[in-house]
Amino acid sequence: MYLPPGIKNLSQKEFALKLSSVVFTAALLVIAGCEGAPSGEDANEAVIYAVMPSKIQGFDPGYTSGIYSAQVASEIFECLYQYHYLKRPYKLIPQLAEGMPEVSRDNLTYTIRIKKGIYFADDKCFADGKGRELKASDFVFAWKRIANIKYLSPNWWIFEHKILGLDEFREYTKSCKGQFDVDYSLGIEGLETPDDYTIVIRLKKPWPQIMYLLAFPPTAPIAKEAVDYYGKDIIRHPVGTGPFKLNVWNRGSYIELVKNPNFREEYYPSEGEEGDRENGFLADAGKRLPLVDKISWLIIEEEQPMWLQFLRGKLDASAIPKDSFGNAISPSRELTSDMKERNIRLVKIHDPDTYFIGFNMEDPVLGNNKPLRQAISCGYNRAGETELFWNNAWDVAYGFIPPMFEAYNPKIKEIGQRYDPEKANQLLKQAEKIYGGKLPKLRLTIGATDTQSRQLGQYNKRCLEEIGLEIELEFMDWPIFMEKLNTKSCQIFSVGWMADYPDTETFLQVFYSKNASPGPNHYNYSSKKFDEIYEKAVVMPNSPERTELYRQAEQTVLEDCPAVCALHRVRYILCHDWLGNYKGHVFPYGVWKYRKVDVTKRAAYKELLKKG
Amino acid sequence: MIIYIIRRLLYTIPIVFGVLLLTFVLFTLVGGDISIEIAGKGASAATINEIRQEYGLNKPLFLSWDSQFVNHFKSALTFDFGRARDREPVIDKIKRGAGPSLALMVPIFVGTIIISVSLALIIAFLRGTVWDSLTVIICVAGMSIPYLSFILFGQYFLAYKWGLSPVFFSPDLSMAQYTALPILIGIVTGLGGEVRFYRTVMLDEMRSDYVRTAFAKGLSTRRVLFKHVLKNAMIPIITRVVLAIPFLFLGSLLLERFFGIPGLGYLMIEAIGSRDYFVINAMTYISAILFVIFNVITDICYAWVDPRVSFD
Repeated sequence: MYLPPGIKNLSQKEFALKLSSVVFTAALLVIAGCEGAPSGEDANEAVIYAVMPSKIQGFDPGYTSGIYSAQVASEIFECLYQYHYLKRPYKLIPQLAEGMPEVSRDNLTYTIRIKKGIYFADDKCFADGKGRELKASDFVFAWKRIANIKYLSPNWWIFEHKILGLDEFREYTKSCKGQFDVDYSLGIEGLETPDDYTIVIRLKKPWPQIMYLLAFPPTAPIAKEAVDYYGKDIIRHPVGTGPFKLNVWNRGSYIELVKNPNFREEYYPSEGEEGDRENGFLADAGKRLPLVDKISWLIIEEEQPMWLQFLRGKLDASAIPKDSFGNAISPSRELTSDMKERNIRLVKIHDPDTYFIGFNMEDPVLGNNKPLRQAISCGYNRAGETELFWNNAWDVAYGFIPPMFEAYNPKIKEIGQRYDPEKANQLLKQAEKIYGGKLPKLRLTIGATDTQSRQLGQYNKRCLEEIGLEIELEFMDWPIFMEKLNTKSCQIFSVGWMADYPDTETFLQVFYSKNASPGPNHYNYSSKKFDEIYEKAVVMPNSPERTELYRQAEQTVLEDCPAVCALHRVRYILCHDWLGNYKGHVFPYGVWKYRKVDVTKRAAYKELLKKG
Repeated sequence: MIIYIIRRLLYTIPIVFGVLLLTFVLFTLVGGDISIEIAGKGASAATINEIRQEYGLNKPLFLSWDSQFVNHFKSALTFDFGRARDREPVIDKIKRGAGPSLALMVPIFVGTIIISVSLALIIAFLRGTVWDSLTVIICVAGMSIPYLSFILFGQYFLAYKWGLSPVFFSPDLSMAQYTALPILIGIVTGLGGEVRFYRTVMLDEMRSDYVRTAFAKGLSTRRVLFKHVLKNAMIPIITRVVLAIPFLFLGSLLLERFFGIPGLGYLMIEAIGSRDYFVINAMTYISAILFVIFNVITDICYAWVDPRVSFD
C-alpha cells in the first residue's frame, strides 16, 4: 500500500488518540452527571408513582373506551355507585347516590337520590371559576350525550334498547348537523329529574345489570358548562367531582393528578373480607380520602424500562416482565429471596376473563361438524400454553365462566372441556365421517402481528396438527381482524373476553344468537336452547335460580362447542413496601384514593440501593 | 442558479402527488375500514355509518370533486390535517413531538458526524496500522450488533447497574438529564457504519496525486488533512449528511419508546398501529416535503464545495 510522507509522524498519532479519548470522556462525564443532579421532587409530598402500560385516549369518560383511560378518568369523575374496595365477592355501594335505588315491583323503574353538597372541581368553565353543585340533570345530560350519534361515543352499547325514549333521542340526533347542535333540553320518558337530587330511570324491560353500569366510568355525570366551554377539547379538560383533578397530561409521557380540594368527605372503609385486618388493609379505617396528595402515572410501554424503574424504586408497583419472571417468582410461586430482601410484596390478581379459540359456526366445514369442534377442544393443550407462554401463572379454563363469578361451577373440572388427545383422535374419525372424507386444511386467524402472538399461533397450530389436522395460520393487525370477524370471514380465530361487571351475563351475551357478528357473538353461535335460557336469566335479579340458569347456559355452550375455552389470565403484581393498602381489584375504578405511600420507607430503599 | 432551483422545485410536484397517492391507496384501499374499530363493541350499522360520515369515508374514493382523495390532497396542501382519532388536532401533536425528537436526534446527528468524520480522518491517516485494523473490526462489530441490544445493554448497565443516568423519563428531570443516555447510545450505534463510510471516502482522497503533491511541497499533515483532503471529500459527506436531515424530524422509534421521550418516531409508529390515517398522512407528507427540499439543498451545496459542478 502506498503511504504518503509524514504518516509516521508520532505526534500526529498522539494527537489523534488524545482527540478520541477527550470526546468519549466528555460524553461519559455528561452522562455521569445526570443521575445525581438535583430534581424538583418534594420528598415529603405523598405521591404515588404508578405505571401506565399504554397511552390513554383522554379524559372524557363518554368518549373513551379503553380500560386505562377509564381507570384514570375514574379518579376524576365519579359514578352513582362504586365497588367496595375491600369486600369480596365484589359488592356495589353508593358513591354519588344517597343510597341504593328504589326499584318498582315490575323492576322497570329505578328512583335514585343523589347526595347533596357534592361540587365539581373549580374550573374556568364555570361562571366564577368555582365548581358548582352536582345536580341530577348532570347525569341525564351525560347519558343523552352518549346517545347523541354525532358524538360518536363507543359506549352507546350500555344504553342501547334499554331506556324508554333514549333510542328515539338517538334517532333525533341523526338529523342534527353536528354533535353540538343537539338540543339536550328535549325530554325523555325514561330519564326524569323531578328535583335537583332525584333521577328516575324507566326501562323498556327489566335490566338487573343496570346497577353495575351505573358504576362504570362512562356513566359519570358531566357538567354541561364544561362541554360548552371546551367543545371537542374537553377530552383533555376533565371537570369532575372525584378525589383528584388533572394537573398535567403530557401525552405519551405522563399523567399527574392532584388532590381536588372540593372533594367531599369520604372515608376509608372500616369493613373488609376475612384476613384484611391481619394484612393491614383496615389500618386506615375511618381516615378521610384520598390518602395521597398526588398520583403520577408514567407511560412505559416497554417491559425492561418499567421493570428497571421499579427495581430502582422509581415506581411503586409493577407487573413482572415475562423474561424476568424467574428472577422475581420462585418455582413454588413465592417471591424469590432477592425480592424479599427488598421488602417487595406480591399481589396476584385473577382477572375476570377467558381466552378462546373460536369457531365460526356459519363456516360450512366447522358449523355442521360438532365432533370436529370437540376434537379441536380435546386436542388443545391448555396447560402447555400457560407453561410455555405465561410462566405457568395463568389458570386453565374448563368453561367460560371465570372462577371469581358466583355462577362458576365447582364441578366444571369434571364436566367441562379438557385436553384429551386420545378422545380427540376418536372424535376426529367421527368428524371425517360427517365431512365425507379427509378434512380440508383449516385456517386459524390471529389478530396481532407481534412476536409473541406469532409464537402462540405456531403453538396453536402444532397442538392441532398433533391430532392430525392441517392448519394454515394467518396474522393481521387488530382492526383488520375485527373487520374479518364482523363480516364473518374468519374460520378459526383467537379471541379473549373480559367482564365489564361481575355478572355472568357479560359472558353469556357473547353466545346469544341475536348478538351475532357484527355483535359480540363472533362465533355466530345460534342455539334455541341457549337463547331461551339466556332470555329468561338476563332479566332476573340475582338469585340461586338465576345462577343455576347461568350454569345450564354454560353447559349448553360447552356441549355445542362453538369455542375452545383456553385460559383465564392471572396477573402477578409486585409492590414496594411503602405502597400501602394495595389490594388487587379487577374493576379498578376509583381505587387510588384508598392507597397510600410511606415516604420514609421509600427514602430508606434509596439508601439501600446506594449501599448496593 | 435560480432557474435551476425553480426547476428542481417544480419536480417536487409529481413526487409529492405520488406520495399522497401512495399513502391514500395504502391506508384507504388496502388498510380497510377504520369505522368499525372506532365504533366500539357491538356497534350498530347506523353508528358505523355515522362514523363513516364523520370521517368522510362514505364519499367516493376518486371520481368526484368531493372525493376522499381530493379531500386528502386538499388537506395536505393547506397543511390542515384535521384531528387525530383522539380528537387532538394533528398539527398540535406534531408540534409537541418535534421538540423532544429534535432534542434527541440533533445531538445524535451532530455528535455522530463530528466523531465519525474526525475518527475517519484519523484512521485514514493511520491506515495499515494496528489502530486502523482495530477500528475496522470494532466498526464491523458495531454494525453487526442489533440497535436494540445497545439500548438494552446501555439502559441496564449505565443506568440501572451503575446509576450513571436515569433509566427512563421522569417529570422532575430536565431534558438534558433524560436525553443524555439515549443520545450517547444513538451516537455509539451510529458510529460503526459512519466511520467505515467516511474512512473509505477519506482513503480514496488520501490516495490521490494532489495529496502526494501537497506532502511533497512540505505542507503540514494537519493542513493536508483539513484543508485539502476534507474539502475534496465533501461531496459524499454532503450527500450523506444533508439527506439525513429530513429523517431527524421522524425521530427514533426505539430510543423514544425505551426512554419515554414523547417524540415523533413514537407518534408515527403508534399512528400506524392504530391506523390513525390523519397522523400518518401528515407525517408522510411533511417528511416527503422535507426530503425534496433537502435534496435541492444538497445539489446547491455541491456547487458550493466543488467549483466543477455547475447549474447549467
